[in-house]
Amino acid sequence: MKAFPALLLAGLLAAPAAADEPAVRELSIALDGVQVLASFRLGDGMTAELRERIESGLPTGFLFELDLLRDRKRWWDESLDSTRIEVVAMFNAVTREYLVNTKLDGKLIDSRTLRDPEELEHVMTRFQAVPVFVLRSPSHRERYLIRVRAELGTGNLLGLVPVMRSTDWLESNKVRFRKP
Amino acid sequence: MDLRAQLARRSRDARWVAAALALGLILATLVYALVQRGSELPSALVTNRVLLFALWYANVVLILVILFVLARNLIKLWLERRTGALGARFKTKLVATYIGLSLVPVLALFFFASQLLQGAIDRWFSASLSQVLAQGDAVAHALQDTIESRNWRDAARLAQEIQGQDLADPAGRTAAGRRLTRGREETGADLVALFDGDDFVQAVLDPRSGLADLPEIGRALPREAARSGRAGRVLEPPGARGRLILAAAAPGGRPGGRLVVVVGTLLDPATATRSEELIQAYQTYRQLEIQKGEFKVSYLLMFVLVTLLILLASSWTGLFLARRLMTPIQAFSEAMRRVSSGDLDQRIEVAADAEMSSVVESFNRMTEELSRSRQLIERSNVELTEANRGLAEERALVAAILESLAAGVVALDGQGRVLAVNGAALQMLRLRGSEVAGLPLVELLESGARAELEGLLHGDAPERTASQVSFPVGGTWRTFDVRIQPLPGPDDGPAGRVLVVEDLTELIRAQKLATWTEAARRVAHEIKNPLTPIRLAAERLRERSRQPGADAGELVERSVDVIVREVGNMQHLVDEFSRFARMPGPQLAATDFAPLVADVAGLYRDLKPGVEIAAEVEPGLGELWVDPEQVRRVLINLLDNAVEATEAPGLVSVSVRRAGASVEIAVADTGRGVPPEDRDKIFLPFYSRKGRGSGLGLAIVHRVVSDHDGAIRVEDNAPRGTVFRIHLPARGAPLPETGG
Repeated sequence: MKAFPALLLAGLLAAPAAADEPAVRELSIALDGVQVLASFRLGDGMTAELRERIESGLPTGFLFELDLLRDRKRWWDESLDSTRIEVVAMFNAVTREYLVNTKLDGKLIDSRTLRDPEELEHVMTRFQAVPVFVLRSPSHRERYLIRVRAELGTGNLLGLVPVMRSTDWLESNKVRFRKP
Repeated sequence: MDLRAQLARRSRDARWVAAALALGLILATLVYALVQRGSELPSALVTNRVLLFALWYANVVLILVILFVLARNLIKLWLERRTGALGARFKTKLVATYIGLSLVPVLALFFFASQLLQGAIDRWFSASLSQVLAQGDAVAHALQDTIESRNWRDAARLAQEIQGQDLADPAGRTAAGRRLTRGREETGADLVALFDGDDFVQAVLDPRSGLADLPEIGRALPREAARSGRAGRVLEPPGARGRLILAAAAPGGRPGGRLVVVVGTLLDPATATRSEELIQAYQTYRQLEIQKGEFKVSYLLMFVLVTLLILLASSWTGLFLARRLMTPIQAFSEAMRRVSSGDLDQRIEVAADAEMSSVVESFNRMTEELSRSRQLIERSNVELTEANRGLAEERALVAAILESLAAGVVALDGQGRVLAVNGAALQMLRLRGSEVAGLPLVELLESGARAELEGLLHGDAPERTASQVSFPVGGTWRTFDVRIQPLPGPDDGPAGRVLVVEDLTELIRAQKLATWTEAARRVAHEIKNPLTPIRLAAERLRERSRQPGADAGELVERSVDVIVREVGNMQHLVDEFSRFARMPGPQLAATDFAPLVADVAGLYRDLKPGVEIAAEVEPGLGELWVDPEQVRRVLINLLDNAVEATEAPGLVSVSVRRAGASVEIAVADTGRGVPPEDRDKIFLPFYSRKGRGSGLGLAIVHRVVSDHDGAIRVEDNAPRGTVFRIHLPARGAPLPETGG
């Protein structure tokens, strides 16, 4: 009997963090000289609603916000830079191809035509060693990290009010700059 | 609030309402234009989620603004009503009426329009339409799939046939080319191409197909076909219309080889366009279906916006009309309040319509008149105040003077009521100041005094009169000298009288005492005069009697003669004095002065040569009630003295005339006159300036005059001589006594 309230509380706390909620996962960074290479994926981001929207031909995609931070042990981390990765897919129903454009801070860095939906999901949700930041004044005494969240587009609150949906921020591992 | 500020505010309000209406009109026009334009925009743009998002928030912002303005108006109205502001109730009713009148149709319209819209949207996305579009899309795709499958089979067969050729060898290439050409002819394809791995080897085109140039197939297609055995693409052919449907296949359709054959069929433009339209229509439908909810919400918000706009316009119109009606009334109320608080310079300067403007003008004229009247009143008040202050000062001065007077002063109105009285009068008449004001004076006095004062006050003499009266005050008889001065009224008639009262009681008592002291001294002196010869005679007799043998006969006889003569003188003196003392009171009788005066004057006519005697009695004097014998004696005494004092040639005259309420008897001579220092003494008993006589003549005259309630005074005659003036009351017949 006594365990019931605790279980209820645990259930309530666990509810927001359901496993099928879209979230940025497997975030890691590596340094290539002064370049920060980020790898991450958007888990459970390609929902059925999103697929249907893509298949209807509406331009659909994700916007990833990335912040470069300097690690501070006893204080909040210092924000050094920020950037945005925008992935937009457009389906051509005549050719049955997906045109996927990827932009970094508004500049096109990748564009490809796909026919396979699985490949489309892979391209839109997985990023491998993307050079997202350049350390301007790197110091070997400092540790750096990034944090990422994804904006998933608009949704409706109570079926009436449009709101912007986004995932929580996820912080990466911390890396220390080493002189080549 | 100042009227000018109110006017300015009202003007601003009017401009604000006009601006708001104009803005609303512009917004409505813009929205309408946007909606109209939206129907012509590409569906991709119209269905853009961001655009919908922006529209939704624009709607929400507009709704919030309208709600805010509406709530502000209503809250202001509620506050005005709570504070009891003038017109708040009227405003509330008017706004409620306007909102009420517009609310029901607007809500009904909103409800039915929403239902209609939802029904329309649902009809757009009906199952039959969706099915038709899906079928069309499926047919279009099936056509492509069919062509692509046929191409793939042909490509696989050709690849199988060419597989044996060594493409690195020119002969092999030539053979492969020939097979491609023959294969294209056999299959009827518009394009046949050969790839060795990623490398393009050769392509054959149908010269009748309309393909002007070899399309860019790319390496992805053969690579995919090599990897998976088959691949397909749909391309827009360069320089041609229609769609090029490509299919790539490895030999036998099996993956793993390097050789790939691509077969393409050009879909004619008409068919391509139709199939494309079918596909696009379904795509557009799917897009709209996905955004159906957002459309509904956006349109509902638009309806809400319009509804609120109408409500806002209603409330604003109500407020505007109420304000337009209430502004002049509020100005009136404010002006009334200021006027009631004394600001008569208040004017209403509200621009009003024809009906109100006449009321405003009337009000302004009224306040102007009031202001002018008040200025006049204030000026008069100042003058009156000054006059009152002057009067008060004069009154205080008069009061101070009156209070400082030893004589009593009593002011009476026409009915004999006391108007004012000074302290001396109060003291003399034993009155109390708090009880006399407004009461008849005679009623305040004791009964014995009333008759005396009534006689004085009710006389007909308007001019100044003076009388010496005695009446009891506080139980004792006192003698007063009363002078009456008439007060002039507004029409020169007497408005009242002023009584100046002097208490002569003590003075008379002192005079009497002095008179009797002088009389006693003179009597003693007169008695002492004969006593000396009597004593001397008696002493001589005693001396002779002590001388034995002396002949005392002659001496005795002479001394006795002296004693007898002196005793006789003393006897005469005592008799005269006794007569003076025993003089009886006047026996009043109706007396005609004319014969009396003529008779007395006749006694002295021709008595002294050169001294003329004249007598004159005013004609019509009539009979007066006096004691004729005593009056005769008075006249004889006065004429006797006058004739004796007058040397020839001279004139002694007697005249009688009426003087107000009294009769004046004047006996004048041209003699040596009476020095002023002797005038106080001549009426004393035993005072004589002649050196002979008893000295009681003028004392008897004074006594007789006093017994007749009269007065006598002595004056210088002009040019010389003396005048004795006697004033006797001009009494008529006394009333017969009644009772015991």
